[in-house]
Amino acid sequence: MNGSNRKRASILVWQLMLAVAFLLAWEWGSRTNVLDRFFFSRPSEVAQRVSQWIVTGSIWRHVLTTFTEAALSFTLGAFGGVLFGFVLARASDLAAVLEPHIRIANSVPRVVLAPIFLLWFGLGIWSKVALGVTVVFFVVFFNAYRGVREADRVIIDNVRMLGASERQLIRHVLIPSALSWIFSSLHVSIGLAIIAVVVGEYLGASSGIGYLIAQAEGVFDTTGVFAGMSVLAIGVLVVGGVVNRLERRLLRWKPGQLDSSEKFT
Amino acid sequence: MADTPTQPAVTLKRVTRRFSTYTAVEDITLDFPAGKFISVVGPSGCGKSTVLSMIAGLLAPTSGVVEIFGEPLKGLNQRASYMFQQDALLPWKTVLENIELGLVIRGKSKFDMLIEASEWIERVGLKGFADHFPYQLSGGMRKRVAMAQCWIVQPDLFLMDEPFSALDVHTRLRMESEILRLWTGSEKTVIFVTHDLEEAISLSDEVFLLSSGPASRVVGRYPIDLSRPRTLIDLKTEPRFHELFRNIWSDLRQEVLSSYERI
Repeated sequence: MNGSNRKRASILVWQLMLAVAFLLAWEWGSRTNVLDRFFFSRPSEVAQRVSQWIVTGSIWRHVLTTFTEAALSFTLGAFGGVLFGFVLARASDLAAVLEPHIRIANSVPRVVLAPIFLLWFGLGIWSKVALGVTVVFFVVFFNAYRGVREADRVIIDNVRMLGASERQLIRHVLIPSALSWIFSSLHVSIGLAIIAVVVGEYLGASSGIGYLIAQAEGVFDTTGVFAGMSVLAIGVLVVGGVVNRLERRLLRWKPGQLDSSEKFT
Repeated sequence: MADTPTQPAVTLKRVTRRFSTYTAVEDITLDFPAGKFISVVGPSGCGKSTVLSMIAGLLAPTSGVVEIFGEPLKGLNQRASYMFQQDALLPWKTVLENIELGLVIRGKSKFDMLIEASEWIERVGLKGFADHFPYQLSGGMRKRVAMAQCWIVQPDLFLMDEPFSALDVHTRLRMESEILRLWTGSEKTVIFVTHDLEEAISLSDEVFLLSSGPASRVVGRYPIDLSRPRTLIDLKTEPRFHELFRNIWSDLRQEVLSSYERI
Protein backbone atom coordinates (compact mmCIF):
# COMPACT_ATOMS: atom_id res chain seq x y z
CA MET A 1 0.00 0.00 0.00
CA ASN A 2 2.78 2.36 1.02
CA GLY A 3 4.64 1.75 -2.20
CA SER A 4 1.63 2.50 -4.34
CA ASN A 5 0.92 5.65 -2.32
CA ARG A 6 4.44 6.84 -2.90
CA LYS A 7 4.11 6.06 -6.58
CA ARG A 8 0.89 8.01 -6.77
CA ALA A 9 2.52 10.99 -5.04
CA SER A 10 5.46 10.92 -7.43
CA ILE A 11 3.11 10.77 -10.42
CA LEU A 12 1.28 13.81 -9.07
CA VAL A 13 4.60 15.66 -8.70
CA TRP A 14 5.53 14.86 -12.28
CA GLN A 15 2.13 15.94 -13.53
CA LEU A 16 2.46 19.29 -11.76
CA MET A 17 6.03 19.75 -12.93
CA LEU A 18 5.01 19.13 -16.53
CA ALA A 19 2.26 21.74 -16.29
CA VAL A 20 4.55 24.27 -14.65
CA ALA A 21 7.30 23.66 -17.21
CA PHE A 22 4.83 24.15 -20.05
CA LEU A 23 3.48 27.38 -18.58
CA LEU A 24 6.98 28.70 -17.86
CA ALA A 25 8.14 27.95 -21.40
CA TRP A 26 5.09 29.67 -22.79
CA GLU A 27 5.58 32.70 -20.54
CA TRP A 28 9.29 32.83 -21.35
CA GLY A 29 8.62 32.48 -25.08
CA SER A 30 6.20 35.36 -25.17
CA ARG A 31 8.42 37.59 -23.03
CA THR A 32 11.45 37.03 -25.30
CA ASN A 33 9.28 37.50 -28.40
CA VAL A 34 9.82 33.95 -29.64
CA LEU A 35 6.04 33.73 -29.50
CA ASP A 36 4.06 36.71 -30.70
CA ARG A 37 2.12 38.08 -27.74
CA PHE A 38 -0.77 39.08 -29.99
CA PHE A 39 -1.36 35.55 -31.21
CA PHE A 40 -0.31 33.56 -28.17
CA SER A 41 -1.00 35.82 -25.19
CA ARG A 42 0.73 34.93 -21.92
CA PRO A 43 -0.10 32.59 -19.03
CA SER A 44 0.27 35.45 -16.55
CA GLU A 45 -2.22 37.56 -18.47
CA VAL A 46 -4.60 34.64 -18.87
CA ALA A 47 -4.44 34.00 -15.13
CA GLN A 48 -5.04 37.67 -14.47
CA ARG A 49 -8.07 37.66 -16.75
CA VAL A 50 -9.53 34.58 -15.09
CA SER A 51 -9.07 36.01 -11.61
CA GLN A 52 -10.58 39.30 -12.78
CA TRP A 53 -13.63 37.40 -14.06
CA ILE A 54 -13.91 35.64 -10.75
CA VAL A 55 -13.44 38.78 -8.65
CA THR A 56 -16.03 40.77 -10.59
CA GLY A 57 -18.25 37.67 -10.67
CA SER A 58 -18.98 38.13 -14.36
CA ILE A 59 -17.93 34.55 -15.17
CA TRP A 60 -20.49 32.70 -13.07
CA ARG A 61 -23.39 33.43 -15.37
CA HIS A 62 -21.50 31.78 -18.24
CA VAL A 63 -20.29 28.82 -16.22
CA LEU A 64 -23.79 28.26 -14.95
CA THR A 65 -25.25 28.41 -18.47
CA THR A 66 -22.75 25.95 -19.94
CA PHE A 67 -22.98 23.38 -17.18
CA THR A 68 -26.77 23.65 -16.92
CA GLU A 69 -26.99 22.95 -20.63
CA ALA A 70 -24.56 20.05 -20.32
CA ALA A 71 -26.44 18.59 -17.35
CA LEU A 72 -29.77 18.90 -19.13
CA SER A 73 -28.50 17.32 -22.32
CA PHE A 74 -26.91 14.49 -20.39
CA THR A 75 -30.06 13.82 -18.36
CA LEU A 76 -32.44 13.94 -21.31
CA GLY A 77 -30.09 12.09 -23.66
CA ALA A 78 -29.32 9.38 -21.12
CA PHE A 79 -32.98 8.92 -20.25
CA GLY A 80 -33.95 8.59 -23.92
CA GLY A 81 -30.99 6.33 -24.62
CA VAL A 82 -31.78 3.97 -21.76
CA LEU A 83 -35.45 3.83 -22.68
CA PHE A 84 -34.78 3.16 -26.37
CA GLY A 85 -31.97 0.74 -25.59
CA PHE A 86 -34.22 -1.32 -23.34
CA VAL A 87 -37.18 -1.37 -25.66
CA LEU A 88 -35.14 -2.27 -28.74
CA ALA A 89 -33.10 -4.89 -26.93
CA ARG A 90 -36.30 -6.62 -25.82
CA ALA A 91 -38.10 -6.25 -29.17
CA SER A 92 -35.67 -7.67 -31.69
CA ASP A 93 -38.02 -7.28 -34.69
CA LEU A 94 -38.39 -3.58 -34.01
CA ALA A 95 -34.61 -3.33 -33.59
CA ALA A 96 -34.07 -5.00 -36.98
CA VAL A 97 -36.44 -2.52 -38.66
CA LEU A 98 -34.90 0.53 -37.03
CA GLU A 99 -31.26 -0.52 -37.29
CA PRO A 100 -30.33 1.22 -40.57
CA HIS A 101 -32.20 4.37 -39.53
CA ILE A 102 -30.33 4.55 -36.27
CA ARG A 103 -27.03 4.07 -38.05
CA ILE A 104 -27.83 6.85 -40.50
CA ALA A 105 -28.96 9.19 -37.74
CA ASN A 106 -25.79 8.48 -35.80
CA SER A 107 -23.57 9.20 -38.80
CA VAL A 108 -24.78 12.81 -39.12
CA PRO A 109 -22.02 15.16 -37.95
CA ARG A 110 -23.58 17.00 -35.03
CA VAL A 111 -21.99 20.36 -35.89
CA VAL A 112 -24.11 20.69 -39.00
CA LEU A 113 -27.20 20.34 -36.84
CA ALA A 114 -26.26 23.32 -34.70
CA PRO A 115 -27.53 26.02 -37.11
CA ILE A 116 -30.78 24.10 -37.62
CA PHE A 117 -31.33 23.80 -33.88
CA LEU A 118 -30.61 27.52 -33.61
CA LEU A 119 -33.44 28.15 -36.06
CA TRP A 120 -35.77 25.74 -34.33
CA PHE A 121 -35.06 26.48 -30.69
CA GLY A 122 -33.60 30.00 -30.75
CA LEU A 123 -30.53 31.50 -29.15
CA GLY A 124 -31.35 30.34 -25.62
CA ILE A 125 -30.19 27.20 -23.87
CA TRP A 126 -32.54 24.77 -25.62
CA SER A 127 -30.77 24.81 -28.97
CA LYS A 128 -27.59 23.75 -27.14
CA VAL A 129 -29.40 21.16 -25.08
CA ALA A 130 -30.83 19.70 -28.27
CA LEU A 131 -27.36 19.44 -29.75
CA GLY A 132 -26.02 17.80 -26.60
CA VAL A 133 -28.90 15.34 -26.51
CA THR A 134 -28.17 14.11 -30.03
CA VAL A 135 -24.66 13.25 -28.90
CA VAL A 136 -25.39 11.70 -25.51
CA PHE A 137 -28.41 9.75 -26.71
CA PHE A 138 -26.46 7.55 -29.11
CA VAL A 139 -23.63 6.76 -26.73
CA VAL A 140 -26.02 5.76 -23.96
CA PHE A 141 -28.39 4.00 -26.35
CA PHE A 142 -25.69 1.73 -27.79
CA ASN A 143 -24.39 0.87 -24.35
CA ALA A 144 -27.82 0.18 -22.85
CA TYR A 145 -28.74 -1.94 -25.85
CA ARG A 146 -25.57 -3.94 -25.55
CA GLY A 147 -25.91 -4.25 -21.80
CA VAL A 148 -29.37 -5.77 -22.08
CA ARG A 149 -28.54 -7.96 -25.07
CA GLU A 150 -25.36 -9.28 -23.57
CA ALA A 151 -26.67 -9.91 -20.10
CA ASP A 152 -25.27 -13.30 -19.12
CA ARG A 153 -27.55 -16.12 -20.30
CA VAL A 154 -26.67 -18.32 -17.32
CA ILE A 155 -27.48 -15.56 -14.83
CA ILE A 156 -30.82 -14.97 -16.53
CA ASP A 157 -31.64 -18.69 -16.40
CA ASN A 158 -30.58 -18.82 -12.77
CA VAL A 159 -32.83 -15.93 -11.77
CA ARG A 160 -35.73 -17.37 -13.75
CA MET A 161 -35.26 -20.72 -12.03
CA LEU A 162 -35.43 -18.88 -8.71
CA GLY A 163 -38.93 -17.87 -9.77
CA ALA A 164 -38.45 -14.35 -11.10
CA SER A 165 -41.20 -12.76 -13.19
CA GLU A 166 -40.35 -10.71 -16.26
CA ARG A 167 -40.43 -7.54 -14.18
CA GLN A 168 -38.16 -8.98 -11.52
CA LEU A 169 -35.79 -10.20 -14.20
CA ILE A 170 -35.54 -6.66 -15.56
CA ARG A 171 -34.99 -5.24 -12.11
CA HIS A 172 -32.44 -7.72 -10.81
CA VAL A 173 -30.52 -8.60 -13.95
CA LEU A 174 -31.15 -6.46 -17.02
CA ILE A 175 -31.00 -3.02 -15.40
CA PRO A 176 -27.83 -3.70 -13.40
CA SER A 177 -26.23 -5.28 -16.45
CA ALA A 178 -27.11 -2.30 -18.65
CA LEU A 179 -26.10 0.19 -15.96
CA SER A 180 -22.63 -1.26 -15.79
CA TRP A 181 -22.26 -0.62 -19.53
CA ILE A 182 -23.74 2.85 -19.26
CA PHE A 183 -21.52 3.82 -16.37
CA SER A 184 -18.43 2.62 -18.11
CA SER A 185 -19.27 5.17 -20.83
CA LEU A 186 -20.19 7.93 -18.39
CA HIS A 187 -16.94 9.82 -18.85
CA VAL A 188 -17.29 9.73 -22.59
CA SER A 189 -20.92 10.78 -22.68
CA ILE A 190 -20.56 13.62 -20.17
CA GLY A 191 -17.43 14.85 -21.92
CA LEU A 192 -19.25 14.79 -25.25
CA ALA A 193 -22.22 16.64 -23.74
CA ILE A 194 -19.93 19.47 -22.62
CA ILE A 195 -18.18 19.64 -25.98
CA ALA A 196 -21.51 19.72 -27.82
CA VAL A 197 -23.02 22.55 -25.78
CA VAL A 198 -19.83 24.63 -26.02
CA VAL A 199 -19.82 24.20 -29.79
CA GLY A 200 -23.48 25.22 -29.81
CA GLU A 201 -22.72 28.34 -27.78
CA TYR A 202 -19.79 29.13 -30.01
CA LEU A 203 -22.03 29.19 -33.05
CA GLY A 204 -24.66 31.44 -31.56
CA ALA A 205 -25.70 32.25 -28.02
CA SER A 206 -26.11 35.04 -25.53
CA SER A 207 -24.20 33.47 -22.68
CA GLY A 208 -21.99 30.48 -21.82
CA ILE A 209 -18.31 29.71 -22.05
CA GLY A 210 -18.48 28.99 -25.76
CA TYR A 211 -20.12 32.38 -26.27
CA LEU A 212 -17.36 34.01 -24.22
CA ILE A 213 -14.68 32.41 -26.38
CA ALA A 214 -16.45 33.40 -29.58
CA GLN A 215 -16.78 37.00 -28.37
CA ALA A 216 -13.09 37.20 -27.51
CA GLU A 217 -12.14 35.77 -30.89
CA GLY A 218 -14.33 38.37 -32.57
CA VAL A 219 -12.13 41.15 -31.23
CA PHE A 220 -8.81 39.26 -31.56
CA ASP A 221 -8.58 39.01 -27.79
CA THR A 222 -6.41 35.88 -27.50
CA THR A 223 -6.10 36.32 -23.76
CA GLY A 224 -9.88 36.07 -23.50
CA VAL A 225 -9.92 32.92 -25.66
CA PHE A 226 -7.33 31.18 -23.51
CA ALA A 227 -9.02 32.38 -20.33
CA GLY A 228 -12.32 30.90 -21.53
CA MET A 229 -10.60 27.63 -22.34
CA SER A 230 -8.99 27.58 -18.90
CA VAL A 231 -12.32 28.05 -17.15
CA LEU A 232 -13.80 25.24 -19.24
CA ALA A 233 -10.87 22.97 -18.45
CA ILE A 234 -11.22 23.56 -14.72
CA GLY A 235 -14.94 22.83 -14.93
CA VAL A 236 -14.34 19.61 -16.84
CA LEU A 237 -11.77 18.49 -14.26
CA VAL A 238 -14.24 19.07 -11.43
CA VAL A 239 -17.02 17.19 -13.23
CA GLY A 240 -14.60 14.35 -14.04
CA GLY A 241 -13.74 14.05 -10.36
CA VAL A 242 -17.40 13.83 -9.39
CA VAL A 243 -18.03 11.19 -12.06
CA ASN A 244 -15.08 9.15 -10.82
CA ARG A 245 -16.49 9.20 -7.30
CA LEU A 246 -19.91 8.17 -8.52
CA GLU A 247 -18.50 5.41 -10.68
CA ARG A 248 -16.41 3.96 -7.90
CA ARG A 249 -19.43 3.92 -5.63
CA LEU A 250 -21.84 2.39 -8.14
CA LEU A 251 -19.49 -0.11 -9.75
CA ARG A 252 -17.83 -1.28 -6.56
CA TRP A 253 -18.88 -4.84 -7.37
CA LYS A 254 -16.50 -4.90 -10.34
CA PRO A 255 -13.01 -6.28 -9.89
CA GLY A 256 -10.07 -3.99 -10.50
CA GLN A 257 -11.83 -0.66 -10.89
CA LEU A 258 -9.25 1.72 -12.26
CA ASP A 259 -7.94 4.34 -9.97
CA SER A 260 -8.83 7.89 -11.00
CA SER A 261 -5.16 8.72 -11.46
CA GLU A 262 -4.84 5.96 -14.05
CA LYS A 263 -7.87 7.00 -16.00
CA PHE A 264 -8.25 9.44 -18.83
CA THR A 265 -11.29 11.61 -18.44
CA MET B 1 -33.85 -51.62 -1.05
CA ALA B 2 -37.15 -50.90 0.63
CA ASP B 3 -39.35 -49.97 -2.27
CA THR B 4 -42.08 -47.59 -1.14
CA PRO B 5 -44.90 -47.18 -3.65
CA THR B 6 -44.51 -43.39 -3.66
CA GLN B 7 -44.81 -41.30 -6.74
CA PRO B 8 -41.54 -40.62 -8.58
CA ALA B 9 -40.27 -37.04 -8.37
CA VAL B 10 -39.59 -36.93 -12.08
CA THR B 11 -40.79 -39.14 -14.89
CA LEU B 12 -39.53 -38.92 -18.45
CA LYS B 13 -41.81 -40.61 -20.97
CA ARG B 14 -40.31 -41.32 -24.38
CA VAL B 15 -38.47 -38.01 -24.35
CA THR B 16 -36.51 -36.94 -27.42
CA ARG B 17 -34.71 -33.67 -27.95
CA ARG B 18 -33.29 -32.48 -31.25
CA PHE B 19 -31.30 -29.35 -32.03
CA SER B 20 -32.05 -28.71 -35.71
CA THR B 21 -30.57 -31.86 -37.26
CA TYR B 22 -28.65 -33.06 -34.21
CA THR B 23 -30.44 -35.47 -31.89
CA ALA B 24 -29.14 -35.02 -28.37
CA VAL B 25 -31.26 -37.59 -26.56
CA GLU B 26 -33.59 -40.14 -28.08
CA ASP B 27 -36.59 -41.91 -26.64
CA ILE B 28 -35.61 -41.77 -22.99
CA THR B 29 -38.00 -43.24 -20.47
CA LEU B 30 -36.90 -42.90 -16.88
CA ASP B 31 -38.26 -42.27 -13.43
CA PHE B 32 -36.40 -40.57 -10.62
CA PRO B 33 -37.64 -41.83 -7.24
CA ALA B 34 -38.60 -39.08 -4.77
CA GLY B 35 -36.36 -38.29 -1.81
CA LYS B 36 -33.32 -39.95 -3.35
CA PHE B 37 -29.94 -38.69 -4.44
CA ILE B 38 -29.55 -39.74 -8.04
CA SER B 39 -26.62 -39.17 -10.35
CA VAL B 40 -26.72 -39.16 -14.11
CA VAL B 41 -23.42 -40.23 -15.61
CA GLY B 42 -22.19 -40.52 -19.16
CA PRO B 43 -19.33 -39.55 -21.43
CA SER B 44 -18.85 -35.89 -22.34
CA GLY B 45 -21.41 -34.62 -24.83
CA CYS B 46 -23.87 -37.41 -24.14
CA GLY B 47 -26.83 -35.15 -23.44
CA LYS B 48 -26.82 -35.30 -19.63
CA SER B 49 -27.21 -31.54 -19.39
CA THR B 50 -29.96 -31.63 -22.00
CA VAL B 51 -31.91 -34.07 -19.83
CA LEU B 52 -31.42 -31.85 -16.79
CA SER B 53 -32.48 -28.72 -18.67
CA MET B 54 -35.65 -30.48 -19.77
CA ILE B 55 -36.43 -31.47 -16.18
CA ALA B 56 -35.86 -27.82 -15.19
CA GLY B 57 -38.14 -26.62 -17.97
CA LEU B 58 -35.39 -24.48 -19.46
CA LEU B 59 -35.64 -26.67 -22.58
CA ALA B 60 -38.79 -28.23 -23.96
CA PRO B 61 -38.56 -31.79 -25.29
CA THR B 62 -39.04 -32.20 -29.05
CA SER B 63 -41.36 -35.09 -28.29
CA GLY B 64 -42.37 -36.96 -25.18
CA VAL B 65 -43.51 -35.79 -21.76
CA VAL B 66 -41.73 -34.69 -18.60
CA GLU B 67 -43.77 -35.21 -15.45
CA ILE B 68 -42.94 -33.61 -12.13
CA PHE B 69 -44.58 -35.38 -9.19
CA GLY B 70 -47.15 -36.73 -11.62
CA GLU B 71 -47.95 -33.40 -13.25
CA PRO B 72 -46.91 -32.78 -16.87
CA LEU B 73 -44.35 -29.96 -16.90
CA LYS B 74 -45.35 -26.74 -18.65
CA GLY B 75 -42.86 -23.90 -18.73
CA LEU B 76 -40.34 -23.62 -15.94
CA ASN B 77 -40.27 -26.19 -13.19
CA GLN B 78 -41.54 -24.27 -10.15
CA ARG B 79 -40.62 -27.00 -7.69
CA ALA B 80 -36.97 -27.21 -8.67
CA SER B 81 -33.78 -25.29 -8.00
CA TYR B 82 -30.97 -25.47 -10.50
CA MET B 83 -27.29 -25.23 -9.74
CA PHE B 84 -25.31 -24.39 -12.84
CA GLN B 85 -21.93 -25.59 -13.96
CA GLN B 86 -20.88 -22.02 -14.72
CA ASP B 87 -20.83 -19.12 -12.35
CA ALA B 88 -24.43 -17.96 -12.10
CA LEU B 89 -24.21 -15.54 -9.19
CA LEU B 90 -25.22 -11.96 -9.77
CA PRO B 91 -21.92 -10.06 -9.74
CA TRP B 92 -23.58 -6.80 -8.64
CA LYS B 93 -25.10 -8.33 -5.52
CA THR B 94 -23.27 -9.13 -2.31
CA VAL B 95 -23.16 -12.62 -0.81
CA LEU B 96 -26.15 -11.76 1.39
CA GLU B 97 -28.13 -10.25 -1.48
CA ASN B 98 -27.37 -13.22 -3.71
CA ILE B 99 -28.50 -15.70 -1.10
CA GLU B 100 -31.73 -13.89 -0.28
CA LEU B 101 -32.64 -13.30 -3.94
CA GLY B 102 -35.08 -16.20 -4.07
CA LEU B 103 -36.88 -14.80 -1.02
CA VAL B 104 -36.93 -11.28 -2.47
CA ILE B 105 -38.59 -12.72 -5.55
CA ARG B 106 -41.18 -14.41 -3.35
CA GLY B 107 -41.86 -11.12 -1.61
CA LYS B 108 -40.84 -12.12 1.93
CA SER B 109 -40.51 -9.40 4.55
CA LYS B 110 -37.09 -7.79 4.98
CA PHE B 111 -36.77 -9.08 8.52
CA ASP B 112 -37.54 -12.70 7.67
CA MET B 113 -35.14 -12.56 4.76
CA LEU B 114 -32.30 -11.26 6.86
CA ILE B 115 -32.81 -13.96 9.47
CA GLU B 116 -33.09 -16.79 6.95
CA ALA B 117 -30.24 -15.61 4.77
CA SER B 118 -27.95 -15.11 7.76
CA GLU B 119 -28.75 -18.64 8.85
CA TRP B 120 -27.79 -19.94 5.41
CA ILE B 121 -24.60 -17.91 5.34
CA GLU B 122 -23.57 -19.68 8.52
CA ARG B 123 -24.74 -23.05 7.31
CA VAL B 124 -22.50 -22.88 4.23
CA GLY B 125 -19.60 -21.53 6.28
CA LEU B 126 -19.44 -17.99 4.93
CA LYS B 127 -19.86 -16.08 8.17
CA GLY B 128 -18.11 -12.73 7.86
CA PHE B 129 -18.43 -12.65 4.08
CA ALA B 130 -22.01 -11.35 3.87
CA ASP B 131 -20.96 -8.02 2.39
CA HIS B 132 -18.42 -9.39 -0.08
CA PHE B 133 -19.04 -9.35 -3.80
CA PRO B 134 -18.62 -12.57 -5.83
CA TYR B 135 -15.37 -11.41 -7.42
CA GLN B 136 -13.83 -11.22 -3.95
CA LEU B 137 -14.51 -14.91 -3.24
CA SER B 138 -12.66 -18.09 -4.19
CA GLY B 139 -14.23 -20.61 -6.56
CA GLY B 140 -15.24 -22.86 -3.67
CA MET B 141 -16.84 -19.99 -1.76
CA ARG B 142 -18.82 -18.95 -4.83
CA LYS B 143 -20.16 -22.49 -5.07
CA ARG B 144 -21.22 -22.29 -1.42
CA VAL B 145 -23.13 -19.10 -2.16
CA ALA B 146 -24.75 -20.75 -5.17
CA MET B 147 -25.73 -23.73 -3.01
CA ALA B 148 -27.35 -21.50 -0.39
CA GLN B 149 -29.04 -19.46 -3.11
CA CYS B 150 -30.66 -22.58 -4.54
CA TRP B 151 -31.46 -24.20 -1.25
CA ILE B 152 -32.98 -21.23 0.61
CA VAL B 153 -36.18 -21.42 -1.47
CA GLN B 154 -36.69 -24.98 -0.17
CA PRO B 155 -37.28 -26.70 -3.51
CA ASP B 156 -38.62 -30.24 -3.62
CA LEU B 157 -36.21 -31.00 -6.40
CA PHE B 158 -32.60 -29.99 -6.53
CA LEU B 159 -30.98 -30.13 -9.97
CA MET B 160 -27.19 -29.91 -10.23
CA ASP B 161 -25.31 -29.75 -13.50
CA GLU B 162 -21.67 -30.71 -12.92
CA PRO B 163 -21.57 -28.04 -10.24
CA PHE B 164 -18.09 -28.84 -8.96
CA SER B 165 -16.31 -29.70 -12.19
CA ALA B 166 -14.31 -26.46 -12.18
CA LEU B 167 -12.95 -26.95 -8.66
CA ASP B 168 -9.68 -28.54 -7.59
CA VAL B 169 -9.83 -32.07 -6.12
CA HIS B 170 -9.70 -31.09 -2.46
CA THR B 171 -12.17 -28.22 -2.65
CA ARG B 172 -14.38 -30.55 -4.57
CA LEU B 173 -14.31 -33.23 -1.90
CA ARG B 174 -15.29 -30.60 0.67
CA MET B 175 -18.16 -29.34 -1.45
CA GLU B 176 -19.40 -32.90 -1.98
CA SER B 177 -19.41 -33.45 1.77
CA GLU B 178 -21.27 -30.17 2.24
CA ILE B 179 -23.96 -31.13 -0.22
CA LEU B 180 -24.45 -34.50 1.50
CA ARG B 181 -24.66 -32.78 4.87
CA LEU B 182 -27.31 -30.35 3.58
CA TRP B 183 -29.27 -33.08 1.86
CA THR B 184 -29.24 -35.66 4.65
CA GLY B 185 -32.60 -35.70 6.37
CA SER B 186 -34.07 -33.07 4.04
CA GLU B 187 -36.16 -35.61 2.08
CA LYS B 188 -35.49 -33.66 -1.07
CA THR B 189 -34.79 -35.27 -4.40
CA VAL B 190 -31.41 -34.48 -5.92
CA ILE B 191 -30.56 -35.07 -9.55
CA PHE B 192 -26.84 -34.69 -9.97
CA VAL B 193 -25.26 -34.67 -13.41
CA THR B 194 -21.56 -35.50 -13.65
CA HIS B 195 -19.05 -37.21 -15.89
CA ASP B 196 -17.07 -38.35 -12.87
CA LEU B 197 -18.12 -41.84 -11.86
CA GLU B 198 -16.35 -41.74 -8.49
CA GLU B 199 -18.24 -38.60 -7.56
CA ALA B 200 -21.50 -40.15 -8.69
CA ILE B 201 -21.01 -43.34 -6.65
CA SER B 202 -19.87 -41.63 -3.50
CA LEU B 203 -22.85 -39.27 -3.39
CA SER B 204 -25.77 -41.23 -4.76
CA ASP B 205 -28.45 -43.78 -3.94
CA GLU B 206 -28.61 -44.71 -7.57
CA VAL B 207 -26.55 -44.02 -10.69
CA PHE B 208 -28.12 -43.71 -14.15
CA LEU B 209 -25.81 -44.29 -17.06
CA LEU B 210 -26.44 -42.60 -20.40
CA SER B 211 -24.91 -43.78 -23.65
CA SER B 212 -22.55 -41.63 -25.69
CA GLY B 213 -24.19 -39.07 -27.97
CA PRO B 214 -25.71 -38.32 -30.39
CA ALA B 215 -29.11 -39.88 -29.78
CA SER B 216 -28.17 -40.82 -26.25
CA ARG B 217 -30.20 -43.50 -24.45
CA VAL B 218 -30.27 -44.99 -20.97
CA VAL B 219 -27.73 -47.81 -20.65
CA GLY B 220 -28.61 -48.84 -17.13
CA ARG B 221 -29.49 -48.02 -13.53
CA TYR B 222 -27.15 -49.03 -10.75
CA PRO B 223 -28.33 -48.96 -7.11
CA ILE B 224 -25.57 -47.85 -4.74
CA ASP B 225 -25.90 -49.76 -1.49
CA LEU B 226 -23.18 -48.00 0.47
CA SER B 227 -24.47 -47.19 3.96
CA ARG B 228 -25.26 -43.66 5.04
CA PRO B 229 -24.08 -41.37 6.48
CA ARG B 230 -20.97 -41.62 4.37
CA THR B 231 -17.56 -40.21 5.14
CA LEU B 232 -16.41 -39.27 1.68
CA ILE B 233 -12.77 -38.95 2.55
CA ASP B 234 -12.63 -42.62 3.64
CA LEU B 235 -15.14 -44.02 1.20
CA LYS B 236 -12.73 -44.55 -1.63
CA THR B 237 -10.75 -47.12 0.33
CA GLU B 238 -13.78 -49.33 0.97
CA PRO B 239 -13.89 -52.62 -1.02
CA ARG B 240 -17.61 -52.26 -1.82
CA PHE B 241 -16.93 -48.87 -3.41
CA HIS B 242 -14.42 -50.46 -5.75
CA GLU B 243 -16.71 -53.31 -6.58
CA LEU B 244 -19.45 -50.88 -7.59
CA PHE B 245 -16.98 -48.75 -9.47
CA ARG B 246 -15.63 -51.69 -11.49
CA ASN B 247 -19.14 -52.82 -12.21
CA ILE B 248 -20.38 -49.55 -13.63
CA TRP B 249 -17.07 -48.63 -15.20
CA SER B 250 -17.06 -51.65 -17.47
CA ASP B 251 -20.27 -50.30 -19.00
CA LEU B 252 -19.22 -46.67 -18.96
CA ARG B 253 -15.91 -47.63 -20.56
CA GLN B 254 -17.78 -48.96 -23.58
CA GLU B 255 -19.60 -45.68 -23.95
CA VAL B 256 -16.49 -43.59 -23.51
CA LEU B 257 -14.73 -45.69 -26.16
CA SER B 258 -17.57 -45.33 -28.61
CA SER B 259 -17.65 -41.58 -27.97
CA TYR B 260 -13.97 -41.49 -28.98
CA GLU B 261 -14.77 -43.20 -32.24
CA ARG B 262 -17.20 -40.48 -33.16
CA ILE B 263 -14.70 -37.68 -32.83
